[in-house]
Amino acid sequence: MTVQVSHIFRLSALAASFFIGFNLLSPPVLLARPLRIGEINPLTGKLAKHGQEIHEGILFAVEEVNKRGGILGREVQLVSRDDQSLPEVAINQTEDLVYGVGVAGLTGGYVDSLVGPISEIAARHRVPYVASASLQRNLTIGRRNPYFFRVSRLDGIVEPLCGFLTSQLRPKNAAVLFSATPGSSEFASEMRTCLKQAGVPVSTFDKFRPGTSDFSSFLMKLRMERADVLISGGFFPDHLLLARQMKDQKLSLRAYLGPWGVAYPSFIEEMGSASHGLFGMCAWNPGITLPGTEQASEAFVNGFRTRFAKQPNTTTMHGYSSARALLAAMEKAMGKHGGVNGDALCRELRSLDLLLPMERLVFDDNGDPRYYRQVVVQIQEGRMVTVYPPDRATGSIVTESP
Amino acid sequence: MMLQFLVNATTLGAFYALVAIGFSLILGVTHAFNLAHGEMLLLSGYLAYFLGKHFGAPLLLILPVSMLTMLFAALCLERLLRRVPEPHELNTLVITFGLVLLLQNAMLMAFSANYRIVAPETGPGQTPSSTLFLSETQVLILGLSLAATGAVFLLLKRSFLGKALRATIQDGEAARLAGINVKHMHLLAFGLGGLLVGTAGPLYARTAYLHPFGGMEATLIAVILTIFAGVGRIRGLLIGGWILGLVESGTVLLLGTNWRELASSLILIALLLLRPEGLLPKWAKTRP
Amino acid sequence: MGEDKAMKRVRTPTRLSVALLSAGFLLFLGWPWLTARGGIHCQAMSMALFHGCLALAWNICSMMGAVSLGHTAFFGLGAYGSALLCHYGHLNPFLTIPLGGILGAFYGVLWHIAFGKLRGAPFALASLASVEIPKVIIDNWESFTFGSLGVVGIPPLSPIRVGSFMLDFGENPVHLYHLFLVGTLFLCLLYRQALRSRWGWAVRTIREDETAAASLGVNVRRTRLQVFICSAFLTGICGGVYAHLMGLVEPALVFSLHISALPLVLSIFGGRFQWYGPLLGAVVLYPLDQVVFRSLFPVGHSALYGFVVILTLMLFPQGMGAWLQKRLHLASS
Repeated sequence: MTVQVSHIFRLSALAASFFIGFNLLSPPVLLARPLRIGEINPLTGKLAKHGQEIHEGILFAVEEVNKRGGILGREVQLVSRDDQSLPEVAINQTEDLVYGVGVAGLTGGYVDSLVGPISEIAARHRVPYVASASLQRNLTIGRRNPYFFRVSRLDGIVEPLCGFLTSQLRPKNAAVLFSATPGSSEFASEMRTCLKQAGVPVSTFDKFRPGTSDFSSFLMKLRMERADVLISGGFFPDHLLLARQMKDQKLSLRAYLGPWGVAYPSFIEEMGSASHGLFGMCAWNPGITLPGTEQASEAFVNGFRTRFAKQPNTTTMHGYSSARALLAAMEKAMGKHGGVNGDALCRELRSLDLLLPMERLVFDDNGDPRYYRQVVVQIQEGRMVTVYPPDRATGSIVTESP
Repeated sequence: MMLQFLVNATTLGAFYALVAIGFSLILGVTHAFNLAHGEMLLLSGYLAYFLGKHFGAPLLLILPVSMLTMLFAALCLERLLRRVPEPHELNTLVITFGLVLLLQNAMLMAFSANYRIVAPETGPGQTPSSTLFLSETQVLILGLSLAATGAVFLLLKRSFLGKALRATIQDGEAARLAGINVKHMHLLAFGLGGLLVGTAGPLYARTAYLHPFGGMEATLIAVILTIFAGVGRIRGLLIGGWILGLVESGTVLLLGTNWRELASSLILIALLLLRPEGLLPKWAKTRP
Repeated sequence: MGEDKAMKRVRTPTRLSVALLSAGFLLFLGWPWLTARGGIHCQAMSMALFHGCLALAWNICSMMGAVSLGHTAFFGLGAYGSALLCHYGHLNPFLTIPLGGILGAFYGVLWHIAFGKLRGAPFALASLASVEIPKVIIDNWESFTFGSLGVVGIPPLSPIRVGSFMLDFGENPVHLYHLFLVGTLFLCLLYRQALRSRWGWAVRTIREDETAAASLGVNVRRTRLQVFICSAFLTGICGGVYAHLMGLVEPALVFSLHISALPLVLSIFGGRFQWYGPLLGAVVLYPLDQVVFRSLFPVGHSALYGFVVILTLMLFPQGMGAWLQKRLHLASS
């Protein structure tokens, strides 16, 4: 009997120490003086690269506000959480931010499969969420979720790209290759619809799984179908492989277009001279900015470089823009009501009108950005040259390879 | 055009065979299911990448280094798998599955999730004729794969050591009775497997991009070919590799890129159903 | 051999094990209040219980000797079945989740038909490959399943009114935690009774020796079919719950190697041959990974699972459950 009792005691002591250990590991809870906003990003895992970029953009925006003295004298505190590129972790972390930390608003998020679950929880707890990078249409359609806003939208990519193709390149036969991810799939089917409406035949419409490495048969198919323009909805590594295998097989197309992953300095660096002539898209880049925001853009680039010792890119700018929107709405709400409850913040977000380097940010009824439009750029001898739309073009298309 | 298709598929198939031989030898001789085969391939690919990137080492230097490293890794693996409790096949499968999880995450920690690819040293490939394009990498893969396959084939068929190995594959117990040191044969099989993976890794890093979670596909290909050919049958593996390469390329050409994985999975299931004995010759005999 | 002894011991529960069990139960019941209510530890434990159920479902197959690497096929089918029924039929999630489970069970029947002759390692490989079939079909059937876009806007688990008290699983993590706790306990008891029944013994006899089982009058084919159906149905239900928890499904999300691997790791660690083994593995290993290991190694913390599998199989091939039981037995005798 004594053996049993001492055993139970020992076990309960073990359980207690386990439990105390758990609580010691959790972050300390601070007093509620500063205004808190939460951020959930894939800081580790397979999307870590872009998650980090968005995080730096958000962090920069918050530090910028605090340097000015905060919002009406109150410091803004950014609580960053890592979702490890996994939706179930994103859900856990969001609930913890909302329940445990009690944040006024949420931002961040990369890829719809992570943004989607976060937006559901935001709505459930009536906390506004301004997503940094999200495209999928059915997340906002029909205004199911009045607490969800985002600074990017799919139309802002499809419209300029389609306009560029039909007005400038006028392909005889286009091929669309896309990755088996939500954003890429939706982009591809929109592109097909829009090209068909413009009378451009789409001979090849192929989906591939992320991680596919051998495109030789696909490229042969392009040759057989005599496609002259390839729209590739893959990501950074897919472009690397495709561009190389195209070169290996001596397949020369009139244009290679990659909306994601091409218009990055790191891509140009990795590809070297082989990147010459490829088309990409971006919303912003150092040197490519909305007319009228040149000064703000330069200030951002300089400030960012001194803070993080690296060049910002379009993903960073998405993070920065989403945080700016949330902070601006908080400032207004504080001024009007003296507090930042979720519904007041949402009202302010809805009536927001900000001129940012990336876009003039006004949310429509669905929470989508009304004026978000990317530009088409071509890489010419290691530099990004804007070629479309005409009013923002800084150069013309080069066709022959060097 | 047809010729180009055949050349592409042949190169792919030869590489598949190179990946599969090591797996098949290890399985045949030691009855150990090495699910971490693809991860070993990735590891040697990463090794090649870093040697090339940071020391500017040429392929001629990278290959032996990678082969020796993988030889060492395979021998370590042998020591681990030797102690696995019964039932041996199933438990090695589960343990190497654990190893897969471990290696994937270790690679994620060490190399991050960034995609890496070894840039080819020279420009575009040679052109034997106006319609056929052969890149330097393709020539390399075809040449090295066939050379390695041929070497293993000769070793198995023409040398005394090869005879002992084949005897162990056929029946380990009988081989022991005939005076063959089966333990040495186990070491030899793992050693050969390591050398072959060390050859394939640098080639893999030149054709595909390296990513910590990319190893499972290579393992599955090795499994498919092994079932098709039976353990330790080099010619069968090569023919199987070519057939698989043709089927995969053909599926992409006719149906679309998205059906490729389904094709290889269906082949695997069909093979398992039609010839489960391909995996282990003794399986069909001992189990009703 | 070892299991026989274990069974005898469970049948005559010592006071110690009763005390331990009730202490454990009370700890779990009060967990949300011990930790910050609805905080990250409560979440982690909810998910641990969820994975415990998944591991229990997986272990039914393993009890029969069929180590599967492809249970994510059932999981994904359950998730998609429930999500699509909600999307098209606007039914209550508590109705669609079992229907999703039936879809999973249907695939389990197909496994039985196709893999009837496979055992051991070939079976494991076939199950691994069989995941691709539903995955690729769902990925490409855009008009019905929305392909790679996935299904979004899946409603959360609907609230239940008990008297004047509202159990809101979607809004309140504590209520969700208790739902999982009740579900897990129910499943556990069911599992324990099933294993002690005639049927449970038949299942284990098949693992040890199929010929002997047949000669003892066990209908091997029928028992195998029943095992696949049970395991697939329960895994499908877990998948359905997951879909409503996440609010969205995507092929890559619900058909992933991770989902096949976790129950295997948890069961092997906890003990494949005890009824409580998988659950023990889940409530120890999952929170350990999520709370402790993740703060130490933010990037590759799942390496823990691989490490655990290797160590357990080398050092305690029977799992922690068997080891603990031995210890308890020694302590109380």
